[in-house]
Amino acid sequence: MNIHTYEKLWLVAAMVLIVGFIATITYGSVALGITMVGDQQPTIEPSDVSDDDRFSDPRVEQVGENEYEVYVVAQTFVFRPDPIEIPAESTVTFYVTSPDVIHSFSVVGTNINTMVIPGEISQMTAEFDETGEYGILCNEYCGTGHHDMEGSMSVVSPDEFDMLELSAEAPDEVAIDDDLTVNVSLENRALDDETDTLTLAVGDETVTEDVTAAGGDTLETTLTVDADALGVDDHDWTVSFGDHEESGSVSVLEELDEDDDENGGETDG
Amino acid sequence: MNPSDGDGELTRAGDTAVREIGHDEFDPIGTLALIGIYFLILVLMWLFMYFVEFIGNEPTVIGGAIATLLEVML
Repeated sequence: MNIHTYEKLWLVAAMVLIVGFIATITYGSVALGITMVGDQQPTIEPSDVSDDDRFSDPRVEQVGENEYEVYVVAQTFVFRPDPIEIPAESTVTFYVTSPDVIHSFSVVGTNINTMVIPGEISQMTAEFDETGEYGILCNEYCGTGHHDMEGSMSVVSPDEFDMLELSAEAPDEVAIDDDLTVNVSLENRALDDETDTLTLAVGDETVTEDVTAAGGDTLETTLTVDADALGVDDHDWTVSFGDHEESGSVSVLEELDEDDDENGGETDG
Repeated sequence: MNPSDGDGELTRAGDTAVREIGHDEFDPIGTLALIGIYFLILVLMWLFMYFVEFIGNEPTVIGGAIATLLEVML
């Protein structure tokens, strides 16, 4: 067969092009580990999404050192949890599902983008090396509120990141000859322990306690201030642990009205 | 004459001058240049699309079977 030199050239070049395409994809897959959105998770009933262990409480969960799992529910017209907060320098696996109609979970400006089909669980793993703020959008038309369906994700520095939840409760009123007792509950959902100083500041008084919130556990403790030291007045109190703060206010009274009255009302007589 | 013998030859058929050339003498250099440019554009666009637009848009979904296998092995 008599093939012209230019034609041979073009045939070879076309082959090289195809080999080049395949080589780049192979490089991405093998060297960079790029993959498809996973659909290997078994499907669940869309109506049972809220009963599923993973999705009844959409959340970020730590599964290893620098490894996190995020369970996301996309529904008309919100993403839960919102915002998603994860630390930088971590590997995060997203599991996304929908209880109602088809949505999408698209982290704007990145390659994290999946369709969210009711009952199917899309699985995606990504590495977050740097801190930053991302928007999350739904790009499958899902109803009249589709254009409002957005979420956000912040990748914070590992030093700032923790999975602590501080809650504190104190009575609204306390008698001056009594103690102000603040019940503090510190939930640490991370795997590692967190040690810091728990501080109660009320009026001019400050009480501190060094505590360790064990990983995966909830620490319950109480902080007490002598009401006499505060004086009769309204006082704001603040309980803090690291960056976390919880506050409220308390009135210190000469004596408590109703309860004391009901209990005999000695002081009135 | 044999058209593939490589020698162009002017023959006269009636009043029209016809020049016959051999197979390898046909030299469409302009077409070759055009296709060459097209090829170059294709390669550059592919590289731009894959390495800048796609891989540059990190983070990317990772963790394929091969990567997991490598991770286990290394």
